[in-house]
Parts: sequence; C-alpha cells; structure tokens
Amino acid sequence: MSDLRADIHTPHEPELALHIEDLTVSYGDRPALWDIDLNIPPGVLAGVVGPNGAGKSTLLKAILGLVPRSAGHVRLFGHPYKSQRKRVGYVPQRSSVDWDFPTTAVDVVTMGLYGQLGWWRWPGRRERDRALRALEEVGMEALADRQISELSGGQQQRVFIARALVQKPDLLLLDEPMAGVDATTERSIIDILSRLRSEGRTIVVVHHDLQTVQRYFDWLVFLNVRVIAAGEMAAVYSARNLRRTYGGQIALLDENGAAAPDAPGER
Amino acid sequence: MSGLANPTIAILLTGMLVGMAGALLGSFLVLRGNSMLADAISHSILFGIALAWLATGETSGAVQIAGAALSGVLAVFLIETLARSRRLRDDAAIGLVFPALFSIGVVLINVFARDVHLDEHTVLLGEIGFVWLDTVTVAGLVVPRALLASATLLLVDALFVLAFYNALKLATFDPGLARALGLAPGLVFYAHLSLLSGTAVAAFDAVGVVLFVTFVVVPPAAAYLLCRRLSSLIAVAMLIAVASAPLGYGAALWLDVSVGGAMALATAPFLVGAFSWRRWRERRRYRAAQPPAVSASSSA
Amino acid sequence: MTALLGDYTLQNVMLGAALIGVISGVLGSFAVLRRESLLGDTLSHAALPGICLGFIVTGVRDMGSLLAGALFTAVVAALLMVGLTRRTRLKTDAGLAIMLSLGFALGVVLLTWIQNRGGAAQAGLDSFLFGQAAATTRADLLPMALLTAVALSGVVMLWKPLKLMSFDPEFAAVMGLPVRRIERLLTAMIALAVVVGLQMVGVVLMTAMIIAPGAAARQWAGSLLGMVLLAAGFGATAGISGGLISTLGPGLATGPVVVLVATALALVSLLIAPRRGLLPAWWRRRRRRSHTSTEQILQTVYELAREHGDWRYRVEQGAVDAYHGMITEPQLATLADRGLLISTEHMPDEGPHWRLTEKGQGHAAEQAKRRNERRRWRVRA
Repeated sequence: MSDLRADIHTPHEPELALHIEDLTVSYGDRPALWDIDLNIPPGVLAGVVGPNGAGKSTLLKAILGLVPRSAGHVRLFGHPYKSQRKRVGYVPQRSSVDWDFPTTAVDVVTMGLYGQLGWWRWPGRRERDRALRALEEVGMEALADRQISELSGGQQQRVFIARALVQKPDLLLLDEPMAGVDATTERSIIDILSRLRSEGRTIVVVHHDLQTVQRYFDWLVFLNVRVIAAGEMAAVYSARNLRRTYGGQIALLDENGAAAPDAPGER
Repeated sequence: MSGLANPTIAILLTGMLVGMAGALLGSFLVLRGNSMLADAISHSILFGIALAWLATGETSGAVQIAGAALSGVLAVFLIETLARSRRLRDDAAIGLVFPALFSIGVVLINVFARDVHLDEHTVLLGEIGFVWLDTVTVAGLVVPRALLASATLLLVDALFVLAFYNALKLATFDPGLARALGLAPGLVFYAHLSLLSGTAVAAFDAVGVVLFVTFVVVPPAAAYLLCRRLSSLIAVAMLIAVASAPLGYGAALWLDVSVGGAMALATAPFLVGAFSWRRWRERRRYRAAQPPAVSASSSA
Repeated sequence: MTALLGDYTLQNVMLGAALIGVISGVLGSFAVLRRESLLGDTLSHAALPGICLGFIVTGVRDMGSLLAGALFTAVVAALLMVGLTRRTRLKTDAGLAIMLSLGFALGVVLLTWIQNRGGAAQAGLDSFLFGQAAATTRADLLPMALLTAVALSGVVMLWKPLKLMSFDPEFAAVMGLPVRRIERLLTAMIALAVVVGLQMVGVVLMTAMIIAPGAAARQWAGSLLGMVLLAAGFGATAGISGGLISTLGPGLATGPVVVLVATALALVSLLIAPRRGLLPAWWRRRRRRSHTSTEQILQTVYELAREHGDWRYRVEQGAVDAYHGMITEPQLATLADRGLLISTEHMPDEGPHWRLTEKGQGHAAEQAKRRNERRRWRVRA
C-alpha cells in the first residue's frame, strides 16, 4: 500500500497542463462521459463544444473532483487535482449562484482566496488589495463596492472571472462564460482570456456558439459523451467532426467489430 | 436571590439569548434557501427528546441536547436520502419526514410518559414565563437552567460561526466553488444544522420550538431586505431578535398572553418596517430615474 | 366488533376521518405535483389564529365559525406570502417559513388570551394543535362535509386547467389561461382541505395529510386522474385506520397516529410500487445482472481493449460497471477463474483493473467473429 501512496506523488505526464485518461463518469444507469482521453498542452486557449447533454459541464466538474469518477484519472501539470488546487481557477455557470446574496463585488472576488486562506485565517488588507487588482484586470475596479445584485449580467460574469483570476491560476476552467452576456462583454471576456494565454496560462472554455469558435480559440475539443476529436484548431475543425459531434446518438463501443470507415470525399 | 434568578431579568435574558442564537444560525439558512428546514428540524427534535427521556429519564441536560441534535440531523439525512431516490421532490421529502418523526415522538410520550413533565405542548409552545422557577447553582450563582442552556448554546454557535465564517459564507453562496477549493461544504452544512438542532432543544424550554423557528427565519429575512453585506445582515438580524424580546415581554404583560408567543410575534413589526423601507427606497429611486419631463407631465 | 362499529363516537370519527382523507388526498396531489407540498404546512399553522378569532367573535365553540375563521387567516397568510416573495428578493421558502411561524405565534398569543379569560377550557381550542378525534360531534361533521363538497366540486370544474398547470404552467399561461387566478383558487382549495382536517389531525401535523397520500399515489399512478383517485383512497384509509387506532388505544392523540399510518403508506409505496418503487427497480437491476452473461462482459473488455489498440490494455472495473449500468465484479471474477481475464492495477487513484489473458483474447475474438457472422446472416435473410 505504501508504494502505491508514494506513486501518486510521482508526476505523470507533467509536461501537459491537463491530462485525462480513460475517464468515465456515470449518473445512474448511463455514462455522462465515456472513456475520455484528452491532453491539453500548456499555454493554449481551448474551447470545448458539443450538443446539449454532451457532458461539457460534467467534464469540468470531473476535472475538479466535483463529481465522482467511475474510471480513469485526471492529472494537472502531472499531479492529481487535490495537490494542484491553488493552480486552478474555476468559473462556474453564472446561474449556479444566487445573485441576491448580500455581498459586494470585491467580496466575491476575495472568496476566490478562501482556499489559500484555509479554514481559519481571515482575509485582510492584502487579500482585499489582490481582489481589487483582479477586478482591475477585468475592468471592474470602479464597481468594487457595488452589491452584486446591482450589477448587469455581463458585469456579474466579469466578477466571476476576477474571482478565478485572483488565485493567479495556471489553469483556468470556464463553464459557458459567454452565455447571456452582451456583445461588448463577450468581446472583453475574450480579450481577457487572450491576454491570459499570452502570459502563458492555460485556459479551457466550455462554449456553445459554433459561429465564434474558430475566431476565439486555438485549440478545440469536440465532445459528445466521448471525445470526438481534439487538437489544434486548424487540424480538427472540419465539417465531418462537426457532423459526428452534433449528428445524434453516439455509440459507446463500436459493436460492429469494424472501425467506423472514413466517409469518402471528405476533405 | 441573585439578579439572574429575578423573574423579569431571567425571562428577558433567556428570550434575547435564544433569539440571538436563532438569528445567527438562521441567517445562513435563509440565504441558502432552506428556511423550511428550520421547521423540519425543530419538529423532529421531539423524537430525540422522547428517546433521550426513555433512555435517561431526564427531560433536560447535555444528553438530551445531544440526542435531540442528532434527531435533527437524522431528519436532514432522511430528507436528503428520500430526495436522492428521485421518487420525491425535496419539498415533499421534507413534508413527509418531519411530521413522521414528530408523530413518533408524540406517540412515545403518549404511551410511556403520561405522568411526566414532558408533553408535546411544552415542546411546541414552551413557557418562558416559568424559566426562573427551574434553577441550578453555578459557581455560587443561582441561574435558571434555561438561561444557562441558551447562553451556552449561543456561545458555542458564535464560536462556530466565527471559526468557520469563511467556509460557511462560501458554502452558502457557492457550494460548488467551496468544494473545488477543498472547503467541504457538505460537512459545514451538517455541522451548522446539528448546532441548529441543539439550539432548538435549548430553546424549547423557553419559547417552544415553533416559536424558535420565528427567531431563525424572520429577523434574518428582515435584515436581508436592509443589508448589503453578510456581516451586517447577521448583526442586524441579531439586533432585531434582541429588541423583540423586551418588546414582546411588555406586550405579553400588558395583554396577559403567552410571553414566548408575544416575543416571536414582536419580530413581525421589524419585518414590516424593513419591507416598507425597501419599497419606499425603490419607489424613490424609480422616481429619481424618471426623466423630469415625464414626472412633470404626470403631475400636471 | 359490530358493537364497536355501532358506537356513536366511533361512527363520527370514521366519517370525519374519511372526509379528511379524501379531500386532503385530492388537493394534496396537486400540491405535490406543483412542488408546493409545504404550502399546506404554512396554511395549517396560519389557521390557528383564525380558529381563535372565530371563537372570540362568536363567543362559542361552533365548528362552522371556527372553520370560517381558520379559512380566512390561512388564505390571508398565503396571499401575504405571495405578496412578500413577489415584491422582494425573499424566496418562496423564506416566505413560507415566515408566514408559518408568525401565523402560529399569533395563534399562540390569541389562544392564551382566550385561556386567560377563562374561555378555552370549555372551548377546548388547544385540541386543534394535535387534533382530538373523540371530540368530534355529529354537528361538527356537517361543516366539514360542506367544505369537502365545495373543494371537490371546485376540482371537478377546474380539472382541465389544473391538469395543465400542474404539468406545464408556462404553457398554460401561453394558452391564455388566467394562471395567477387559478393558482389563487387552488391555494384556497388546499386551505379548505387543511381546515377540514384541523379538528382531527391538528394544525401541527396537517401538512403530512396533504403530502403523504399524494406522494404515495404518485408512485403507483400513471395518470393524473388515477393519482388523484388513489390519493383519495390512501387518505381515507389513513384517516379511518388512524382514527380507529387512536380511539381504541388509550391516551393516543389522533393526529400523530393518522400521520404515521399515512407515512407508512407512502413509504410502502416508495418501496413496492411496480414501476417507480425502489424494490422493483432493485429487482430489475438484479435480473439484468443475471441476464447479462459473462460472455457479454468479456466482449466489453475485449472491445475496450481493441479500441485502445492493445489487447493487453488494462480495463478499469468502474468503466465496465458504467457501461452495463450494474456491478460487474462477480462476472469479472468468474472470467478470471476461467483463465480469460487477469486482475491487475493501474494508477494509484483508480479502482481495480482487468486485462485479457492470451486465452481470453483468443476466446473473445472467436466470439466476436461468430457474432458478426450471425449478424451478417440476419442482414441477408
């Protein structure tokens, strides 16, 4: 047993920002994610696309250990999530919290530091300064002391992003950050993300708008319960992959006994 | 007779302490959208009180508080289990579990404890008017038992909230992030609810459990309408609870009615006040936001 | 037993309990479906001050005026609750809990006000807290029956809109139904049901009578009509048997006993109802397990290995479980015993793994080939 415990500390694929192997997540009777193999190198801005119910949010939650894995493992910079918590920022869907909560923008951003503060320590001057700087990064410093219910949808989304940024994450996971925000906010969010990428951070974004995928991201994951295709944008963005991802039911195992033949005439 | 055994002081202090403890824990409950769990827990503890009485023959004391707190947690656990079976929605699960536990408690008392000073009416209604009769001596000081219990529970609750403030706050606002950051929101949730059950037991002597629910829910709800920060919400809620006690006590003496009921009812004016203030401010801001031409033409 | 059934009090109890069961079962079905189960709790607690008001106004313990008062304050509390949640940021749960606790506090204050003026002893108003079946007189039954008739005819008249609104309120609004007005009517009818039960079940536990029969019927019924009728039956059963038990057992309050019977019905339904019950579901899973042959499981391991392009690929047990939606360890162990699989491990944070042996690889490939041939034959035929 002791050698197994030692084993978890030896890095596994440390040159990758995100390494997922054989990951299966199951809710009740049917797998939500099946046999996912996915590698994302550091310093890319990756989009995850797929139809409703494809398991996009589940994928992020499985990376963060928020849903139990049935099988497989996830490594962030070579290590399990638990030891990498401080290097990972997470921006959940905006609708996942109650925006009437009595708190201010800067306070929400400070919450991003609670993990580093631990159970006992209280946030002080230093934490507030860091939160203000994170708000500055998303252009929200003027509204720092606003109550969050008084912010517009786009402003709330930027506060959420600042809450993840305040941790200075090397890997940032965002769940549909562009959902329900206006065009200006969408542009400023993608500007922020591009800037973070140029600083060398890795960003994974669950995205729903196929129109903008090619413009926004340099790495793409097609997901529909299984990984249909993943890689650099130019290599994987094709009509065929789009069709295979959005084209209805995906078989978990190819029980025909033959690999799906490439359709002639493609590309 | 020491000052603490003086009836008026004992009654007022007990009411204030119970109210503060309820409002403190209730703030998080109301914000999480689980207000009805206060009702469920406070009914379910009768089951624990009855069992603890069967086991020890005592109706108050540390064992009773612990046993009843456990039955509150049991109720929450059963509710979650039923809801997770996906055969029932969680509102139906709540409404199925707590009446059942309460009923078992009543039946146990009906069958085994008919002659004892323990009946469902006391648990339900309490009688704060008599708290000064049942005293204990602590360090040479004569202290009413209920006062001692509620002071202890308030202290424990306050220590818990102070120690785990960040975790509580994040678990209430965004449990998903709390989990991702390793701040075990599930554990915090159960710890919070077991303290709430324990406090309800301490309160049952004084104000009765259903009136305790008032202190848990109404002051935080009123403060929610007034405050922009969690810390000020908690402070205002506790102030409202403290102010309700003398207000209710005065009214009870004047009208010759139940002291606990009057104290609970005295929270209502604060809620109405908060509601009216909020409406007034919104209307004023709405009017200020209107272009002057419109208001001029409408007033003309 | 016949002498017992001829007993006058007992007849009253059984009649009253049956009425309560029917009305709360019918209206509770809608409350459960509309996720408003706890509304009954608030309504019943808020009925207590109304009972006291009814007594204060008339000065006598007349069931009609008590119930009228109860209905009045219950409906007022519900309207205040809706107003509070619509006009502020407060959520429904807070609104329910606020009106429940304040309503009850007011009830307690009024109750003691009456008591301290020497009226409650003969009024016996505090029997409304937990219900006292034996106190039911023939004269009490009349207003109860009247209210039940009103509520039931309301359900019959509003059947179609109620059905639509329980299933899809937004669609109902799009169809042009006056959704808010019907919602208010439904709330008033649930208040009627609560009020009918106060005398026997009591304000504290009436919520269970609203929820338990509906929750029980939900597990069995496939249609709304079936559910409502079943709930009425369950409610009547719980009412009558609970009333009987509490009258026979000395010193037992009626409310808790009726509630325990209703809860037991709901729990049994949760367990054994054919389609939704937990035991049948468990049984079906078991049957699927025994019908899923070890050969199929071996094929899954084989296909997974083939997909990864390595017949020595280590397949995690959790993946095979997820694929089949069941625990596959027994079959995997059998396959290992037959020398087709071998138990192994992979990463430290993963579960047990299995991989094909050489013999297993050959066997599985053979089976796969045969299966494909069979399929080809079927296609040709």
